[in-house]
Amino acid sequence: MVAALAARRLGAPGLAIAVGFTALDAEPAPTLTLGEAGLLAGGPSPREWPGDMFRLLARGRVGVAVTPAQIDAAGRTNLSGIGPPGRPAVALPGSRGLPDHNPSPSSVWYLLPAHSARTLVERVDVVSGPAPDAAAGVRRLLSPAGCFTLRGGRFEADWLAPAGEELVAAAPGLGIRLGRVPERAAPGPDALAALRAVDPHAVRDVEFAPREEAARLWASAATRERGAA
Amino acid sequence: MGARGGRPPVDGLLEALGPVPAGSTVAVGGAGLVRKPMALCRALADSGVRDLVLVSFLGSADVELLLAAGCVAELHSAGVSLDAAGLAPRYRAARERGDVRFVEWSEGALLAALDAASLDLDSSLTRSGLGTDLPEVNPWLRVVPDPHTGAPVVAARALVPDLALLHVPAADPAGSLYVDGDLAADGLLARAARRTVATYEREVTDDPSAVAISRVWVDAAVACPGGSAPTGCFPDRPPDLAALQALAAGS
Repeated sequence: MVAALAARRLGAPGLAIAVGFTALDAEPAPTLTLGEAGLLAGGPSPREWPGDMFRLLARGRVGVAVTPAQIDAAGRTNLSGIGPPGRPAVALPGSRGLPDHNPSPSSVWYLLPAHSARTLVERVDVVSGPAPDAAAGVRRLLSPAGCFTLRGGRFEADWLAPAGEELVAAAPGLGIRLGRVPERAAPGPDALAALRAVDPHAVRDVEFAPREEAARLWASAATRERGAA
Repeated sequence: MGARGGRPPVDGLLEALGPVPAGSTVAVGGAGLVRKPMALCRALADSGVRDLVLVSFLGSADVELLLAAGCVAELHSAGVSLDAAGLAPRYRAARERGDVRFVEWSEGALLAALDAASLDLDSSLTRSGLGTDLPEVNPWLRVVPDPHTGAPVVAARALVPDLALLHVPAADPAGSLYVDGDLAADGLLARAARRTVATYEREVTDDPSAVAISRVWVDAAVACPGGSAPTGCFPDRPPDLAALQALAAGS
């Protein structure tokens, strides 16, 4: 969400941002922590039941960013559990929208806060999202190791972050093809300024923090935000 | 207010809920940390009802409360967590121990099943769940050939709530509901359920162009400011982080 808001400032002012299921053009309100609806312009407005998001997905007219608990070498995803389907040793939240995202002709970006062997596996325990087929849109994985795109049934590196090669080697299950890959420079001052402008209380850090730390960061951002309002 | 068929206004949550027999299918609105009808869920738990079939499109504190109260025999959902506050401990334990029957849905298939219910169909076709493990664990989903083309498609069986519970920012004197921001599946729940009960933060004057859920789908609407706490109700109230973190910690 922060990246999408920043993209509006960096050259895509007409980018429509969907929040939740129904509201298809969120206004960048001064808050990110009031819950999903907090990004919307105020005032009641009539809305259809949640048809738009799934119809946009089916028609290939939207890009979706998701964070599965597991992703495998064929691009299958899992947010249901660890263990056999229906008998989880470790129960995760549930498959949510992953079954709708993966086969879609729309673009899907998998955002992973860590490039770990626990998340990047040879085969997922439960198939929440099926392997994208030839009709699927762009499937791109962004992790601290770099950016990877699913091509011809396997992930290839588009660019690597500094130390990305070691991170890739430490999570071999995904079978990432490296080849000659450029290393990406750190974001420039314009990009960093745009991120700070749309997210002054650094809610984006919550995504990349361990769970207890994430809760603390979120609470702290919400407190500062209310103080600023 | 908001009585279908011209019944008189109701006050009091228990009175609004009416009789909820054991084994009833109860659907809870909102999604994640937004607009969970917690006061209604608490009233339901206090009523001592058992063996509920609970439907929560995207669950959080609602599922945790009703599981902790021992009201639930079967849970239908596409996902339950406390989002940034953490995972949902009672939900996870219930699934790992198997002491509640958990029926896992995708978001799209659950919407299709509610849509079927709203149209009084036996099932509705969707692509959601094809190629996944969900049809293996969810008997409401069957992969069938499309009758026209033969292409595989998921037939989602209608899921008919006896009762839908909602919490919204505002209602008008006739009982129509107004929602700022994400409506989630609430409009569909109200259309699919045999009976819909809503709580609201504020009363507003009638504005037909802004109605999110028409009064024709609302059997009872009761003023209950703060009725979604600890989940939020935009723009009135953000989620109560401390309370949600305490829930995530298992207290």
